[in-house]
Amino acid sequence: MNDLGRRLARIAFDERGADILLMMAENQGNVGPVIISKGQDPGDARIDVPYQLVAILTNLLPFIGKAKVAILCRRCDEKALIELAKRGIVDDASMVRIGLACSKEQIQACRCSDCVPSKVDIGEAAEPCPEDALAIELGSMTIEQRAAFWMRQFRKCNKCFGCTLNCPVCFCDDCVLEERTYTPKEGIPPELAFHLIRSFHLADKCVECGECERSCPVDIPLLTLRKMVNRDMKNMFDYGSGDAEKKSPLLTTLDDQPLEDDGHAC
Amino acid sequence: MMVRIGVFICHCGHNIASAVDVEEVVEYAKTLPWVAHAGHNLYSCSEEGLGSIKRSITENKLDRVVVAACTPRTHEPLFRRACEQAGINKYLFEFVNIREHCSWIHAKEPKEATEKAKKLVAMGVAKAALLKPQTESEAGVIPTAVVIGGGISGLVAAASLVEQGIETHLVEQTDRLGGLLCDITTIGPEGRHARTLVKDVVQKLEASPKTHIHRKARVSDVKGFIGSFEVTIEGCDGPTKVPAGAIIVATGTREFAPTGEYGFGEHPQVITQLELERKLAMGEKPKRVVFITCVGSRQPGREYCSRVCCNVTLKNALALSKASPDSRIRVIHRDIMSSGSAAEKLYKETSDSGVRFLRYGLERPPEVVSDGDRVNVIVYDETLDEVVSLDADLVVLAVPMLPPDDSEVTGKLLKVPRDKFGFFLEAHVKLRPVEFATDGVFICGSARWPVNARECIWQGMAAAAKASIPIKEGKVVIQAITAEVDPEKCAACGNCVLACPYEAIEIVDQDGNRAAKVNEAQCKGCGTCVAACHNDAVSQKGFTSGQLGAMIDALVKASLEGSR
Amino acid sequence: MTEFKPTILAFCCNWCSYAGADLAGVNRLQMPPNVHVIRVMCSASVKPEYVFKAISQGVDGVLVLGCHIGDCHYLTGNHRTAKRIPVTKKILHDVGIDDRRVRLDWVSAAEGEKFQQVIIEFVAEIKTLGPNPQREVNM
Repeated sequence: MNDLGRRLARIAFDERGADILLMMAENQGNVGPVIISKGQDPGDARIDVPYQLVAILTNLLPFIGKAKVAILCRRCDEKALIELAKRGIVDDASMVRIGLACSKEQIQACRCSDCVPSKVDIGEAAEPCPEDALAIELGSMTIEQRAAFWMRQFRKCNKCFGCTLNCPVCFCDDCVLEERTYTPKEGIPPELAFHLIRSFHLADKCVECGECERSCPVDIPLLTLRKMVNRDMKNMFDYGSGDAEKKSPLLTTLDDQPLEDDGHAC
Repeated sequence: MMVRIGVFICHCGHNIASAVDVEEVVEYAKTLPWVAHAGHNLYSCSEEGLGSIKRSITENKLDRVVVAACTPRTHEPLFRRACEQAGINKYLFEFVNIREHCSWIHAKEPKEATEKAKKLVAMGVAKAALLKPQTESEAGVIPTAVVIGGGISGLVAAASLVEQGIETHLVEQTDRLGGLLCDITTIGPEGRHARTLVKDVVQKLEASPKTHIHRKARVSDVKGFIGSFEVTIEGCDGPTKVPAGAIIVATGTREFAPTGEYGFGEHPQVITQLELERKLAMGEKPKRVVFITCVGSRQPGREYCSRVCCNVTLKNALALSKASPDSRIRVIHRDIMSSGSAAEKLYKETSDSGVRFLRYGLERPPEVVSDGDRVNVIVYDETLDEVVSLDADLVVLAVPMLPPDDSEVTGKLLKVPRDKFGFFLEAHVKLRPVEFATDGVFICGSARWPVNARECIWQGMAAAAKASIPIKEGKVVIQAITAEVDPEKCAACGNCVLACPYEAIEIVDQDGNRAAKVNEAQCKGCGTCVAACHNDAVSQKGFTSGQLGAMIDALVKASLEGSR
Repeated sequence: MTEFKPTILAFCCNWCSYAGADLAGVNRLQMPPNVHVIRVMCSASVKPEYVFKAISQGVDGVLVLGCHIGDCHYLTGNHRTAKRIPVTKKILHDVGIDDRRVRLDWVSAAEGEKFQQVIIEFVAEIKTLGPNPQREVNM
């Protein structure tokens, strides 16, 4: 175990009383997620490889039982946990978050504008990245150009479901997109509806971790699409995912959360 | 399971067949998947039509039925019952609307209407193939009724309800009961005394401990559904919330004020029929009177015949004619609408009594000129083909009845429709004449359409009889359109719990598996939760994503075929 | 070139807009024959998934019609519709699909004329937009 590993273990077990710790470690040349109890040596801890630990956590929940889990948390992971807690998927109270500040390179890669966890335990807070250049470019295009761009991208999709499987806030056991109800066509690429429906499902919970984009084997800029829809949600409802106080505006009444613009008919 | 769908296309006489080529649609329906039989009926809802559908179910071993005809909002129960009688679960029936939504609105485009009807049938068949049998549950009914309006219709309705032992709240916006009847002398054609009639009904009503009369009150809010409404009555002592099983609308009518027509509002001698009634009640007996009928009705903008005014004109003309031997009573009319033997007798008697009738046309209406005390009516008499000048002490205008000013508000409160003039619209002219499409809300009297006192009484009794059915029954059947959860699919995210307007869903732990659960008695079948669920774990019976998705697929497929 | 005949889908809630459509029929209000109504109990049960599915399969336009805000038969059902459908439109817009292909409007049971108006306007609008580009992909 390296120094970083020892530090994580100390924070998790000694300082914050966790029973188990979910982290990234390198073992015999492979970097992957590991769960350790106090005293276990998983190999060298690593934080330089982005990995969706929250998605791993939700998959493991049935096996974890009542154990108090410590998890290495970037700002986006923290927000994902909040979104999951809002929906009763995880119990926020039984969770120990170890705040990880992302590196400058990481932030650039994610075009991340909200990159500092509420408490930084590991790493150093760096400047956020204000804009997604591609989103801006797409916004300035004509609608035909934008359609041409996305249709070209979506045509590459081979329906591997990497984007859904690795998404921290996709919590359904089976995805409706695997069925033929909305996307009846056989084979690949899937219909446009595939990406539209996913965009809608994530509209009130995407935390912009970028895992969908990283998971995509054909490099569809999915994070940019997520960011565009999130900006819409911000503009329409002043809503941003990862706020424990805010219910999804798509589920509440207009009295609870009105539409920012007129919106009564469009 | 084998699916054998029977498709029945209705001609509805000429209503559908005049625009839609029914036989072509039948032939098309035969080509659709799962269709085992396709046929047509002149009137599917007739005894004969229903009989043939039932026979066909047996003969062709059908297990699903699609009827393409009018609107499910009125006729669905009829066809569902027919299915049930032929041994098919009534939820295995699907309605396709090719009349209101097709033939009537594309009357001049028969080819396009036929193509559209085909697509609609294809969509209906696609849904029908995926329908599932359902069982219905029941809910209780609060044994109380609310009657809105204390005119003769409302009074009779309320009296009829309390007579059956039903607790009844009568809401009247003024401080007197009887409505327009308080303002008139006698009711034609038989000449019954109006106030005596009102007094009799009010006495009967007040004698019952089941009656609660709210004077100077109005209904300010209505919540709930048939069997369990909550009606807020805003009275002198503030709002009262009344739980009720049924509501009767009897908000009546008001007289059109013909300002600017025939010098009304300008010359004091020009008055309306209702104003004459008040004069007669005071014992006045004007001698030279000219009546003008159809003032403000049966003309562009207000095309309807107000039905009551001719008889009122005849009744008052005869009364005045009889009152003084030297009277000169003239009736200027476009037509005399006095149907029925008693009214016809009244017309004859009025003519025989010396009342003079002159006919005018809309293109040359009479003119009223004034020289101070007197007015003259100058009219082109169509029968004589000459212009006649009639001097008069009084000119009485027979004006139409209008819906009350607040009918829009009432309509919104109760979620019931009105026609283009503002009168309320019943669920069906012939099949459900005193009911609204909204279950548990009923209509009677001139709020629906101008009717005379006798018709008001009939309708008041009819509405009371209809309203008492669910109350006497003590239960209403809940349609099997409620939401249900597949716990296997449910991620227990609580989206549906948040979205439900009725707080009818909760997350429960069933054998270690957390999942949403719908309280069926509380669920009203709106499907809000369905759209909130990302995993299709919640679905609405009869409106599943599979069924609606299949309709979209069918439309896409039929459009593709159509475009080639 | 043959004339473009749009294929349009309309979701109408049972209580208001479907009844409004019925009233338009009863009053014989004439309108273009491109619109195909699917009856749902409340506009709030219209899943954005249906809209995406229809647009993605080449349907030229989708109407979602409900009761006016405040008039919903299900109290606040349509409040959700009022927020979901604008998001649906935004997502379409973001991927380059003209969001005028989807329209949300409110038609009461008494508004037969408004129903007619909405249909006439929407069909005209879809005609100016031309065929849904997804038609080429799927039809």
